[in-house]
Amino acid sequence: MTAQNIAAALAGESQAAQKYLAFADVADTEGYPNVARLFRAVAYAESAHARNHLSVLGGIGTTAENLKAAWGGETFEIAEMYPAYEAVARLQGNESAQTSIRYALQAEVDHQGIYDSTLRGVEGEKDLGAEAMRVCPVCGHTVIGDAPDECPRCGTHGLHFKEF
Amino acid sequence: MDEAVEKRLPKPEDLSAMTEESLKAAFAGESQAAEKYIVYAEQAEEEGFPNIAKLFRAVSFAETRHARNHLRVMNGVNSTTDNLAAAYAGESFEIEEMYPAYAEIAKVQKQAQASRSIKYALKAEMDHKWMYAEALERAIEGKDADAAPVSVCVVCGHTAIGDVPDKCPVCGAAKEYYRTF
Repeated sequence: MTAQNIAAALAGESQAAQKYLAFADVADTEGYPNVARLFRAVAYAESAHARNHLSVLGGIGTTAENLKAAWGGETFEIAEMYPAYEAVARLQGNESAQTSIRYALQAEVDHQGIYDSTLRGVEGEKDLGAEAMRVCPVCGHTVIGDAPDECPRCGTHGLHFKEF
Repeated sequence: MDEAVEKRLPKPEDLSAMTEESLKAAFAGESQAAEKYIVYAEQAEEEGFPNIAKLFRAVSFAETRHARNHLRVMNGVNSTTDNLAAAYAGESFEIEEMYPAYAEIAKVQKQAQASRSIKYALKAEMDHKWMYAEALERAIEGKDADAAPVSVCVVCGHTAIGDVPDKCPVCGAAKEYYRTF
């Protein structure tokens, strides 16, 4: 029971953190910079709770184990979750939902590929190359190296990509 | 948010029940993936894999974009006053129902680490609740929140407005462990 509760709390804290980050962007747009700052600070606190719960659940392993877990999660989303959700949204004619699902599904394919090659490197004790990574702020399309002129998934201009 | 980005985002939609269920589950999944990848990034740094840490941070950011998109489609992102009211309600639920129930069960089952993780969260949510209440009162009058710094304990999430305490009153972590926003 406690394991189930901590898993539910991890889900709750993670969702709260993401909501607050989205709310912070709205507060910035509406001219409430201090409310935006409050939302970001509280989101950070919820992330600390999520990390603590994850740790209690034994969910933090070595980097090789973490890459495997990450690859497993992406694979589930690609192979099962998003195709099923997409089919339901199509059946029900929910256009926006289909877009949101498609953006995620396509990006998870990028992530699965990158995690796969990175894991193979780590198994040979090699870090990933130092090349920058770039992420589309609309659809989450993820590339290693330069941003495309235009996102091939959602059409957002490459200059909006966030660099890591 | 940049207007060029904003205009391309999926829009809120009148959702059928099953599709709404799907998006709720997808939002939960993306949110948890984003948090896990941040933790994995910290682990990769400790193990001397700075570029893998960067990868986990980049992918975490991508998952936050998906979480935001799903939330928007479900009509979960509104005006700041509505968002503050929703945030306040979420914290209230965790304080009044969720965490006290979880804390009782963890105690009965003698799960010391789970009890600690629950206590840290519950204490911080109490601070968040009044902070959101204050910000909401001001926002209703069209006023921004107070300009004082907001600091968060990296260990337990204790949140303080104004001066950082010398020692975290919840977990005892030293001042240096606070991150200021």
